[in-house]
Amino acid sequence: MDPIKTEIVVVGAGPGGYAAAFYAADLGKKVILLERDLRLGGVCLNRGCIPSKALLYAAHSITTARESEHRGISFGSPTLDLAKLRTWKESIITKLSGGIAQLAKMRGVQVMTGRGYFEDSHKLRLETEQGQQFIHYEQAIIAVGSRSAMPKAFDLGNPRIMTSREALEVEDIPENLLVIGGGYIGMELGTVYATLGSKVVLVEALDTILAGADPDLARPVVAYAKKAFKEVRLKTKVSKMATVGKQIKVEFELDGKKTEESYDRVLVAVGRSPNANDLGLENTKVTLDDKGFIQVNDKQQTTDPAIYAIGDIAGGVLLAHKASKEARIAVEVIVGESSSFTNVTIPAVVFTDPELAWCGLTEAEAKAKGIAVQVAKFPWAASGRALSFDRTDGLTKLIIEPETDRILGVGIVGAGAGELISEGVLAVEMGATAMDLALTVHPHPTLSETIMEAAEAFYGHATHTFTRKKLE
Amino acid sequence: MDFKLPPLGEGADSGTVVNLFVKEGDQIARDQAILELENEKAVATIPSTGAGTVTKVFVKAGEKISVGQRILSFNETGAAPSSQGTPKSEAKPTAEPAPAPAKDAGEPQGEPEPAKATPGVPPPASPSLRKLAADLGIDLTRVRGSERGGRIVLADLRRYIEQLQSANSGKAPAPAESNPPVAKPAPEQIDFSKWGPVEIKPFSPLRQVIARRMTENWNAIPHVTQFDEADITQLEALRKKHAPEYEKKGARLTLTSFALKAVVETLKKHPLFNCSLDEASNELVIKKYFHIGIAVDTEAGLIVPVLRDVDKKNLLELSKELEDLAKKARERKVSAEELKGGSFTISNQGGIGGAHFTPIINRPEVAILGIGRGIMKPVVREQKIEPRLMMPLGLSYDHRVIDGGIAARFIVDLVKSFQEFQL
Repeated sequence: MDPIKTEIVVVGAGPGGYAAAFYAADLGKKVILLERDLRLGGVCLNRGCIPSKALLYAAHSITTARESEHRGISFGSPTLDLAKLRTWKESIITKLSGGIAQLAKMRGVQVMTGRGYFEDSHKLRLETEQGQQFIHYEQAIIAVGSRSAMPKAFDLGNPRIMTSREALEVEDIPENLLVIGGGYIGMELGTVYATLGSKVVLVEALDTILAGADPDLARPVVAYAKKAFKEVRLKTKVSKMATVGKQIKVEFELDGKKTEESYDRVLVAVGRSPNANDLGLENTKVTLDDKGFIQVNDKQQTTDPAIYAIGDIAGGVLLAHKASKEARIAVEVIVGESSSFTNVTIPAVVFTDPELAWCGLTEAEAKAKGIAVQVAKFPWAASGRALSFDRTDGLTKLIIEPETDRILGVGIVGAGAGELISEGVLAVEMGATAMDLALTVHPHPTLSETIMEAAEAFYGHATHTFTRKKLE
Repeated sequence: MDFKLPPLGEGADSGTVVNLFVKEGDQIARDQAILELENEKAVATIPSTGAGTVTKVFVKAGEKISVGQRILSFNETGAAPSSQGTPKSEAKPTAEPAPAPAKDAGEPQGEPEPAKATPGVPPPASPSLRKLAADLGIDLTRVRGSERGGRIVLADLRRYIEQLQSANSGKAPAPAESNPPVAKPAPEQIDFSKWGPVEIKPFSPLRQVIARRMTENWNAIPHVTQFDEADITQLEALRKKHAPEYEKKGARLTLTSFALKAVVETLKKHPLFNCSLDEASNELVIKKYFHIGIAVDTEAGLIVPVLRDVDKKNLLELSKELEDLAKKARERKVSAEELKGGSFTISNQGGIGGAHFTPIINRPEVAILGIGRGIMKPVVREQKIEPRLMMPLGLSYDHRVIDGGIAARFIVDLVKSFQEFQL
């Protein structure tokens, strides 16, 4: 087959890759989008954000039904049809993935399925089912993402030791599930399985759950998990695992003491590794950092002038929306604009119960860096909306620059925090002040009011809390 | 605890420190004047909100400071320290209006403000504006933001660019231009001591402010001064008659009190004298209020506090307030608010002496009345020469707004007001 010529080739069709391909096409570039999976959308759509949210939603109806008993509405105990649940979840993925393929087609983006391998800085070999195909490109954007990390010690080839990928398949509901890792993946999937009936034990090597979030924001999440899970163990390491019949024998280490327990399944959620291997990067001038992520500058340029990298493979926070933002920057740089990934506010959302979201500067970060900030808080116990659906375990807080009252960060924990945080992101991006938020009318009764009231509390005149004065 | 620059009120969020009255180690009392701040059209003292010993001063004279900026820190004395360490000072129960957005705070400066931004945080501006600045290669940390919290908007960026351009064109070899050059050549240094002994004294920051304002007002306004004299023989008799009873009520009845009444009465007949010219929109703003500025001669220099709603106050109230304001001005305790919002100004030099003079208009006002000392003069009245107490008046007006005919009518009516004054 003759080599194909294109202006831009995008390797990987996740939320970074397809966003880059579409944007480049919108700007008039000839674009090829490579994906090794048959379905577009990457981890996010196929084995990450979307299916996990679908499962969380489905499981939540069980919680809702149970909790409605005290409101005088009872349903009896739920029955579970896992096959049907999986089918429903798959239908969402199929719909979204098909949508992306459709959008690519409409834009004239050529989608090719197969493994990409760099022959040199301007040539890519694509291995498809039909055979090899060479692509000559002017610029390449690498967006190959990451995968769940599986430490060698745990990699026994036993399917009962799962990563998030397998856990999202929900083959069964194990009676006893061990979740290793108290980050957002462990917390979210732990919540799914616990709600569907597993006795979940979550272990975390650090002394805190959801490191990175402010402790006061993480507290309601941890409190809920402690209730929903059988156990949450901090400062605990898993030193060994072994297959024993249909179970996995796990050896724990806490304060130097070792204990053993058996589980039906284990979910390993200890982080993610970059997919930088088997790409032929050694044939280019691209360099990797010591953790195996591709090194990029703030214009998403790698050390190879023809190659850009975006998303998880480029390191930093591994979030879909960060990948999509980087996609736009890479494309804009390619077309000659002066864009760069500087001063971009990337919000973080943990879809636990309750949800936890933050953006900009956190209180802990300010403390660690010695940045003087003022903090304004509004507890949801004072929110009529939160009371009306029995979820007062929330908190909205603003991190404020003392001299200017400017909003430097926003943190929210509570039901729907993931939806609420966007106003905070806008405030941070716009350089808004607490006064701007306080003066903006928010509809009643909504949870969004907690943002306005936190700002009002800063000035000492929130309607639904009493603060004595402007915080000093 | 820290003392920060409190909100300055409408339209202002920063100013230049003219005088600093305290230093490290000083004892300060609540409401004691800490510094004098110049902003826009006013120089005002900023009083302390707490009491104690000054441990550190963070600003110096000539420095530009913004609302919320730390001025000094002090150890609180007297009151027991609150257990939680939460300072109580700024907890005013009154609903203080929020600091208004700073419109046009200060003129664009050549020197950018020192970036006191939080590390790792971009300048406060919308993402689209930051992108525009990046595209233009402009460092936004050097641009002064005019919106709440110092947020930078498109207008600020535009102003900054214009500033850069004018700075650049100023450096270029000056082509023949109609515009005056940006920077005037430094005046020649003259050694006066070669002709005799001299003494060098500093030209105080307050004087510099006065100098700049006077120059600006003089340059911006085509001044005309209309002279006349008012026969105040009867008025002076009236004053002498009522002075003791006012004295008992704790007020000094002066000619300025009468002048306030007479001027407002005349302003009501000639509203044009109580207006401002909005050059941007080409509109006249006729004020329906009568706030009269009173030029007060202080040791440090001229200060013009404003007496509000003169039309709604009686002579006793005016006399009392006048005395208070003058005292405050001399003690330099006039607040920024008390220096703003005047619609007409009176400068009465009668207490000192001298006849007619030509006062400079206090922009954005359009007229000012200068009063000289009343002296006995031979005056022809009904074919007879009589000794009458005559008071010289000089009315300077903005000829862009007011024509000579109207000014003549104004002064005629004003003289009549003085001469036919009724208590």
